[in-house]
Parts: sequence; C-alpha cells; structure tokens
Amino acid sequence: MLVPLTYNLRSLFVRRSATVLTLLGIGATVTVLTGFLALQAGFRSLYTQGGRDDVVIFMRPSSTSEGQSLFLREIADRLIKSSPEILAVGDAPPVAAMETYFAVRKQKAHGAGETNVPIRGVQPTSFQLRDGLRIVEGRELKFGSDELIVGRKLIDRMAGCNVGDVIVLNLTPFRVVGIFEGPGACESEIWTDFDRASVALNIPWANAILAKLRPGTDFKKLEERIRSDKETPAKVMTEVDYLRSQTNALGMMLGLLGSILGTVMGIAAVFTAMNTMLAALAARTHEIGILLSIGFRPFSIFVSFLFEALLLGVLGGAIGCLLALPLHGIKTGTTNWDTFTEVAFAFRITPEVLTTAVVFSLALGLLGGAIPAFRAARLAPTEALRRR
Amino acid sequence: MISFKLVRRNLTKHKMRSALTIASLMVGVFLLCVLKSMVVALESGVAGAKRDRLVVQSAASLFIGLPLPYQQRIAEVPGVQKTCKWCWFGGYFREPKNFLGAFATDSDTIFDVYPEMEVIDGSIDDWRKDRSGCLIGDLLAQQFDWKVGQTIPIISANYLPPSGDAWQFTVRAIYKSESSAVDRRTFFFNWDYFQESFEKVMKRTPDTSTIVMRTKPGADQNEIMRTVEGFYENGPQRVQCTTEAAFQAQFLTMMGNVPFLVTSIGSGVLVAIALACVNTMLMAFRDQAHDVGIMKALGFTDGGVSGFMLGQSMLLCIVGGGLGILLVKGLEPAFMAFLGSVFPGYAVTGRTLAVAALVTVAIGLVAGVVPAIAARRLRCVEALRSVE
Amino acid sequence: MNDAMIRARGVKKTYTRAGETLTVLDGLDLEMEEGHFYALMGPSGSGKTTLLNLVGGLDAADEGELIVAGESLADLSGSELAAWRAANVGFVFQAFNLIPVLTAVENVELPLLLSPLSRAKRREHAMYALTLVGLEDRAKHRPQQLSGGQEQRVAIARAIATDPKLILADEPTGDLDRKSAEQVLDLLVRLNGELKKTILMVTHDPHAAERAQRIVHLDKGQLGRVETRAAAAT
Repeated sequence: MLVPLTYNLRSLFVRRSATVLTLLGIGATVTVLTGFLALQAGFRSLYTQGGRDDVVIFMRPSSTSEGQSLFLREIADRLIKSSPEILAVGDAPPVAAMETYFAVRKQKAHGAGETNVPIRGVQPTSFQLRDGLRIVEGRELKFGSDELIVGRKLIDRMAGCNVGDVIVLNLTPFRVVGIFEGPGACESEIWTDFDRASVALNIPWANAILAKLRPGTDFKKLEERIRSDKETPAKVMTEVDYLRSQTNALGMMLGLLGSILGTVMGIAAVFTAMNTMLAALAARTHEIGILLSIGFRPFSIFVSFLFEALLLGVLGGAIGCLLALPLHGIKTGTTNWDTFTEVAFAFRITPEVLTTAVVFSLALGLLGGAIPAFRAARLAPTEALRRR
Repeated sequence: MISFKLVRRNLTKHKMRSALTIASLMVGVFLLCVLKSMVVALESGVAGAKRDRLVVQSAASLFIGLPLPYQQRIAEVPGVQKTCKWCWFGGYFREPKNFLGAFATDSDTIFDVYPEMEVIDGSIDDWRKDRSGCLIGDLLAQQFDWKVGQTIPIISANYLPPSGDAWQFTVRAIYKSESSAVDRRTFFFNWDYFQESFEKVMKRTPDTSTIVMRTKPGADQNEIMRTVEGFYENGPQRVQCTTEAAFQAQFLTMMGNVPFLVTSIGSGVLVAIALACVNTMLMAFRDQAHDVGIMKALGFTDGGVSGFMLGQSMLLCIVGGGLGILLVKGLEPAFMAFLGSVFPGYAVTGRTLAVAALVTVAIGLVAGVVPAIAARRLRCVEALRSVE
Repeated sequence: MNDAMIRARGVKKTYTRAGETLTVLDGLDLEMEEGHFYALMGPSGSGKTTLLNLVGGLDAADEGELIVAGESLADLSGSELAAWRAANVGFVFQAFNLIPVLTAVENVELPLLLSPLSRAKRREHAMYALTLVGLEDRAKHRPQQLSGGQEQRVAIARAIATDPKLILADEPTGDLDRKSAEQVLDLLVRLNGELKKTILMVTHDPHAAERAQRIVHLDKGQLGRVETRAAAAT
C-alpha cells in the first residue's frame, strides 16, 4: 500500500522556501528551453508551411540554395521547353518561371544595422506558382516597369520599405508599389520584374526555375531524367524538400543551443532538486521511521519520495511553460545561414514544444529525486527512529 | 575571528549537499565562459582587422560581384600599395556540411596584401606555377588530413566544374596566419583557373566578390575610399569601400540578435545557479541554527557568526567557480577544434575569466547574505531551545 | 489461554559503532505471556530498546530464536515482516510519534491504509480509536496544536487502530509532565485490562513501571529478575 499523496503535498508546502526555490530553478530552465524550441519551431514552420509536392525547383546540381545556382537564360529557357512534365494548359505557356534570388543591403529599422534583404526577380507565372499570394496594400507589379512589391513581414523590420518609398538597385531607382502577403518565407522577400532587375544589376542569368507539374507526374522519373542529362547539368527538388533543406543550418544551430543550455541549466536544476529532497529526507528521517514501524514497506517510501520529486518537476515545468507563453508570437528575425538572407519569423510555442518541455521537467524531477528516494528507502527503521 | 577550519568542517559534514552545490556552480560558470568565448569568436574577425587594408565590394548586394577592369583602376590610385581580388567560390568537400571558406584569388599579390600569412609547408612558387594548385590553411589541412602534393576534389555550390562533377585541385602550399583577419581554414586557388572555367560555361568574364587593397603607410584612407567610390558612382556597378574592420563587422550585424541572445542567455544560467546556491545556504542555516546559538552563548559576536555563514557561502562559490574556470580553460583547445568551423577564433580570454570570477564572488555574496543576516539576528535562547 | 506471546531463546545482538563492536544482548532467554502488561527496566545500555526493536521486527537478531505472536521472526523476509508488523504490532515512542503534516485522525488512519478496508471504514475505525483515548474532538487538529500528552494519546490511538495483539511502548512517558504521564499510563492499563492487549513498555521510571503487572529487569544484555505486581493488575 502506498503512502498517501496528501502527505507529499503538505510536506512540500510546509518547507515552502526550499520548494519555491527549487520550482524556480526548474522553471527557469524550462523557460529557456521552451524559448529556444519556440524559436526553432517558429523558424522551421515558416519554411515548411507552404511547401507542395507538385511544384518543383530546378537548380545546378551542386547548389544547396537557389541563390548559388546560375543558369544562362538560354539554358533555363531550354530546360523549361524540354520538360514535358511541366504543366501547360492548351496554348498557354508552361506554368514555369525563371527567377533570380539575391540579396540587397538595407538598413534595419530603428538603426539596428544593416542586413541582406532577399530580392526575387520574378516572371508573371511566378504568381501562379504561389498559393495564396495577394496584395494587401497598394497595387500589383507592372511588368516592364521598375517597380517592387514588398513582403508584409519586412515592413516592421526594415527601414524604407513602405509604399511610395524608392529603393535604388545599383543605379536604378525602383519604386515600392505594393505590399503582399503569402505563404512561407516569401513574406520576408521583395519582388520585382526579373528582366528589369537583371538590367539594373547587370546580372544576365537566372538562379532557379520554378515549375508546376502535370497531375500524375512521376517525380522520381523526372528526377532521374534531369540527373542523367549530361548536356544541361541540373537537379530538381520538390518545393517541400527544398524548403525543408533551407532550415538546416540555422534550425540545427537553434536546436543545438537550446539543448546545450537546457542541459547545463538542467544540471543545476537537478542539483537544486536533489539538495531540496535530501534536506527533506534529513528532516523527515524520524517520520520515515514511524512509517516503517507502522508497516509501510521501503518500496512505498521510495515511491512516495520519488513522487514528491516528480511533483516538483511537473510544477516547475508548468511554471516554466507559463513564463514562456508570453513569448509566443513575438517577432524576431535573423540571417538564414543557408540562404544568407534576412528572414523574419516569430516565436511559436507548439504542442510539441510544450510536450518536450513537460517531459524534460519530469526528467529533471526524476533525476533529482532518484538518489534521495533511494536513500529514504534504504533507511533502517531503528536508525531512523533514533533521535538526531 | 571565525576559523577557516570551522567553516570547512561544516561544509564537509554535508558532503553530498556541498558537492552538488559546487557542481552546479562549476557547470554554470563553465557555460557562462563558453558563451562569452563564443561571442569573442564572433567578434574576432573585427578585432583582428588590419588598419592598412580596405575592402571594395558591390554597393548593392553581397551576392553581386565587381567587374574585373575595376582592379586595374583601383591599383593606380595614389596611396595604394597592392591589390588582391577574392571571389567567393562556395566550395565544399564531398558534402555540403563540409563547407569551406574557398576563394579564387591573385596568387601574385595575396602575400603582399596579407603579410601576416606565412607558408609553412610547400612553396608559394609551386602554387603560382600550378594552374590548378591551391593554398590551404594549416587547420584546414589538419581537419581533413590533406598534404602538399595531394589532389582533392572540391564541389562548388555556385560554379560548374570544367569537367566531371567536381573541381580538382592539388595542394601546393600550406599557410599559417598570425591575425584573425585571415582565418586558418581558408582555401585559396588561382584566379586564372577560375576565370578560364567560368568563361567556358557562362560565356563571359567572371566578376569578383571583393577587391582588397593595402594602403601605403601614411596614406589618407578616407581620401582613397572616396576616390574609389567616386569612380563608379555612375556605374556599371556601384561600389562601397570600407575598412577591413567595417567589412568584418557587417557579417556580425547580419547575425542580428545572436550575440545579444547568447549573452542574455547567460543571465538565465546565472539565475539557475544563484538559486541553487541560495537554496543550499538556506538549508545550511536551518540545520545550523542550533550551532549558531551555541556559538553566541560561548561569546561569538553577531558579526562573527554572520561572517561564519557568509564564509561558508563564499567558500562553496569560490571552489565551484574556480573549478568551472579551470575546466573551461582546460577544455579550450578541445573546444577550439570542435567549434572551430562554426566559431573560428573561439578563445577564453582573460577578460572572460575575470568576469567569471566576479560573478562567482557576487553569487557567493548574494547566497550568503540572507543566512548571514539571520545568524546575526538570531536569539541565543531560541536557537538552543530548538531541539529537533 | 496464556500462550507465550513472546518467546526468546539465546538471542544475541551486537552493534558496530565507530569501529567498536558492542554486544548489547548476550544470549537472552525470555518468555512473555499473552494479555499481560510488562515493564522492561534496566540501566542505560542494557539493551531494553534493542529488545523492543527485535520483538517488533524493526531489527533482526544476530543469533537465537525469537517467536512473537506465533511467528518465528527470523524466518520472515523484509516485506513479510512489514506485513506482519502492520497486522500484529502497535508502536508508541517517546517523542515525535506523529507526522507533523497530517491531522490527528489522519495519523491514526495511517496503519489502516495497509489493510483492505474501504475509505469510509478506515475513517470509522480511526474515529473509534480516537474516541477510546478521549480525543475525538481533536480529530482535525495537527500535532503542533496538541499538547505533549495529547500527542502521545493520539499515538496510542494509532497503535491500536488495527487492533493488534501486541503494543510496544518505548519510554512513552519520558517527555511528559506528571499529569499527562498519568493519563497515558491510565490509558495503557485500560487497554490491557478491557481490550486484553499485551503490552511491553520500556521505561526507566519506577513510578511508571509500578503500573505494569510484571517488571522485567535487563542487565548487561541478559535477563535479570522478574517481579510480579499482583496489586497493579486489572
């Protein structure tokens, strides 16, 4: 039979100051871990939100990001024309777009310094290739003019990106005519006419080709065909896979930092919990003797103490999560290490993040309580009853 | 005067508790130092920049290069000693995770512009004579076990190789660098080889990422920078000219919040370990109340007993903090190797250690202050009456 | 029937403390009958508390035979001993008998948790025991709110809550004032007389020992004289 739970609850309450300190220690650790996991989740979700598997991207075989890949325009053109897998309805041109992707130096808002804002040179079909992209302020791009439309997330983070502002690309002034919202990371981008950008910046090439596939296309076959084409070295990825790959460097770094911090702070929290439980054990040695004399088994004592420690863990974890909740939705941004351009995202506390946090806090409680619980169970009744 | 022996005895009486607290401190201080060292690493590029070097890059974007003819004109500006171009190659060895800092450069002027580079194996002449030869940093050679004379395949994310899947380079010289402005993991190869291959694929001359100039002693740098920028105010590609320090710094601001984030995480760690110490000291006081009463009855002063409590706290913290400092300094070489590719220039500076020591003392004081005050206030009679 | 509740044959117990070995009980032979109130006396270090602990199954003898309430304790495993203890023995200690964070009735209920009784039944038995010791109106009070004497009486209520055959008391009046001590002793006498409990009480207070029926003296780990006090019975 187990020792009553009220015993544990009240014992924690009676030693209030030690309990509170331990809870704070565990709580602080959980908050920090949750913060990092939320950053990671926010960053990753940005890219994995919009990915589809019937849209593909063509790049040079060894490029890891579209900004690195270079195709001469004729080559890009040829690639599009010679790919029957690309969707084409009736007489309309294939649903494919050549795009350039590069970065432009811009000042961040509030004098926070300079960063690289991604600019994408697009063609009319580019708009067909993004679901849910729409203008929310101003008007659409007029192809053939030196105009820009700015992704919504950039407005707060960058200086001089509002409708009517002029951004000079090399020597040519481009005017911002609209603000757009759209799926995934494109809200951190500025879009302009592919041809106009090429002229202004003196870059006569395309970086990547985006295309929509005919329904029922076997992607594997397409991939194989492109790979074995020796004349036009290229590779093709589904949008889903591509986007995921663009979160690798920074995503991993955030995860790594979070894990390291969580571990180190966790160690300190475990020590605090262990100290608290050991002190509780020392103060309650006589009580344990009484329980043993009544006939409770050492195993019950063990479970009882372990439960108390787990309780500390769970409560600490709850506090930690509550403290972290206000982070949800807070906007931030940094350089995506894969694309080397600025990307804006927000903290996202997902159910997975919370679950990880709670499991972590339980583990802290368990680790902190294991040794004290074990010691409590090993007490010989006669020793325990002897006065200190 | 409180005897050190008494303080020490009390701590060793509760070995587990003292050990746990010391361990928390050690781990916490260790982490603080690692974090600070990582920030040092991030800022080292800026710190090591040489004052007589200026960098010319595109004013529009990091992704866009400068036309080749620029170099000749820049070299003729009065006050410029030598110039050297660097073109980012985007090279990696076998897999993208083995990304290198690889550049096509001028083998005839690089050592004039970067006198801190010293060839320790192979020879400069061999490199200059071999078209597909390369010059690599000693740490890079160590990392992949590359030797002079060895041919290595490098894949470029940006540029198609002249043949096959990868570019083939032969190691002709290995260098070491004294300053952090030139990283010891960089990979240099001959510009001509690069230009030749680029022209074959892209049918035009390549641009270069940057042109670096070394100024003559006593030259007016501001004047030079103004002149160079003035040359190209009307194109074809506008430039910006900055000191090397400013050039390195731009990468740091791109990281955005990372240095700030990393340093502010330190506060979280501090909170965790401070809590652990406070917890311990409160527990210590609880079971020493009786002893303190006896001491007062024997004639110790209020100041004396409060010093006794403070002494325990300080001893714990100094030992724990000291161990943490020893650990981080001892592991410094290991960390430099492990983190070297992501945080080149990781170093545990004297300043970092000083901050760590300060933090340790501060925590000792904070943790010790409450029991010290309580000890001071304690009434002899009550304390002696409290028999558990 | 006057069966032997406790039968000890050649019981030996030694302790090692700080490197020294002390022989506390040295080949003790003893018999105690059911339904009697025994006082166990002797100088400090004579092994009284040790004997009590052995009889209660809190500790194990090094040598010898010890049969209590029909069980040979040496044959029982750890968990069997615990179960046996829960069913057969009630302990009363000198001080700090009660668990500070539990109320009086919750303290009394503790041993009942080890029985298969339902929650309602447990409460019933606990209140009954509290009423027996005259403290039913203090059921919801915590130990801090009770006087020393009251605490001890609650402890006794707990000791009888499961209706064990044997009550073991280690200096139950040691920390109490005269009046409270008398109350506690009266209670023990009643438990023995009315409920026929076998009581073994360790004490160094001759006044307390007088209330018992038999006084057993221990000296240097061996049985000394046994007095019978016919006048103090029933």
